[in-house]
Amino acid sequence: MVWELMDLLGIDRRRLELQWVSSAEGARFAEIVTSFTGRIMELGKSSLGVAA
Amino acid sequence: MNIGESVNLYRAYYCLDCGVCTGSCPVSRVLPTFSPRLVVEKAMLELGDELLGDRDLWSCLTCGRCYQRCPTNINFPEFMRNLREEAAKRGLSPTLTHHGMLQSVMEFQAAGVRQKKTDWAREAGKIADTGEVFYFVGCMPYFSVIFRDIGVDSLSIGRSVIKILNAAGITPVVSDEEACCGHDMLWNGNPETFKKLAAKNIELIRSSGAKKVVFSCPEGYYTFKHHYPLYFGELGFEAVHFYDYIEKMIGEGALKLSDGARAYTYHDPCRLGRMAKIYESPRAILHSLAGDRFREMERNRENSVCCGTTGWANCSSCSKQIQAERLREAKATGAKTLVTACPKCQIHLSCALSSMEDMDLEIKDLTTLISESMR
Repeated sequence: MVWELMDLLGIDRRRLELQWVSSAEGARFAEIVTSFTGRIMELGKSSLGVAA
Repeated sequence: MNIGESVNLYRAYYCLDCGVCTGSCPVSRVLPTFSPRLVVEKAMLELGDELLGDRDLWSCLTCGRCYQRCPTNINFPEFMRNLREEAAKRGLSPTLTHHGMLQSVMEFQAAGVRQKKTDWAREAGKIADTGEVFYFVGCMPYFSVIFRDIGVDSLSIGRSVIKILNAAGITPVVSDEEACCGHDMLWNGNPETFKKLAAKNIELIRSSGAKKVVFSCPEGYYTFKHHYPLYFGELGFEAVHFYDYIEKMIGEGALKLSDGARAYTYHDPCRLGRMAKIYESPRAILHSLAGDRFREMERNRENSVCCGTTGWANCSSCSKQIQAERLREAKATGAKTLVTACPKCQIHLSCALSSMEDMDLEIKDLTTLISESMR
């Protein structure tokens, strides 16, 4: 639902990530967060002009 | 504006202490701690801290039933709005419904996102970027996503408006850049965001060249008609409600409606009825559509009751009681369909209906009904 609202607002839906990670999956958590922060860096500042 | 100034502006000191407001208030009936009369009394006794800190400050539906009946004509809804502005300055706020999603959308719009929300309109019919008639859609594209799970497709109203306007030979302007009218922000004590949203809309409509702005949403219509001129002066375009517009078209024969077989009743929205005083055009449309199969509820026109919650805040068990009572009243008319005229009324009453298993009633928006009845 939030992705659909972001589409209407014209905010890139790649700026929101939703994943389920169990407490036993530390490595997977690190991987997801690293790739997500990497993606946000790549996308740069949002159209709202707030900090990237 | 502080409490004393609000008392003076709305001449609350004319209060006769008669209690007609509290007796008329749909909230007081189900939440006895809330009383408009007591609010006015406390304001005059200079019990400001107690008044502004009270959770009940946000329980008022601002539906205007009290103002309608007040013998000294105290505009309680506007008085309440002013108190809320004062309370908001102290950092107080209502309990937002739907996790504050709708307020977030409004804040994003005020901050200047570039929206993409007109795909549905292009699919529904012919729209333009500039022209004489602007169709102000309002928040329905967002409602359609958020309230899909209770089975309400708010955008069917928008699609119907475009279909009907197109059939009458009008290609309306529909814009991605349109923002929320600011109604909810204004009524919940946030005039700053309201002003940002309103300024964007006025600028947008002026640049489209439109002289007439058509509204299917009562809140948008009333806010443009009443509050925009108060804050911004002469707008340079005319705000028209869709029902007034279409009633004329039916009268002139430009739009023909077929007579179905169902019995209907009609729920007046507060903003359209008591505030904008539009009672007759929706009824004239229903009469041309259903003849004597249109039946009034006991509480109609200026005595109509609110759909139970407002401004996407403070939905409670009280709201549910008000809604359930209203649905039973609709059912008692013998109608199979309760016709609503506001996307929010439709959402709120449908939500209540979904939890009333024994209630055999359909809820339909008037605009959708008109478009389905076109010959």
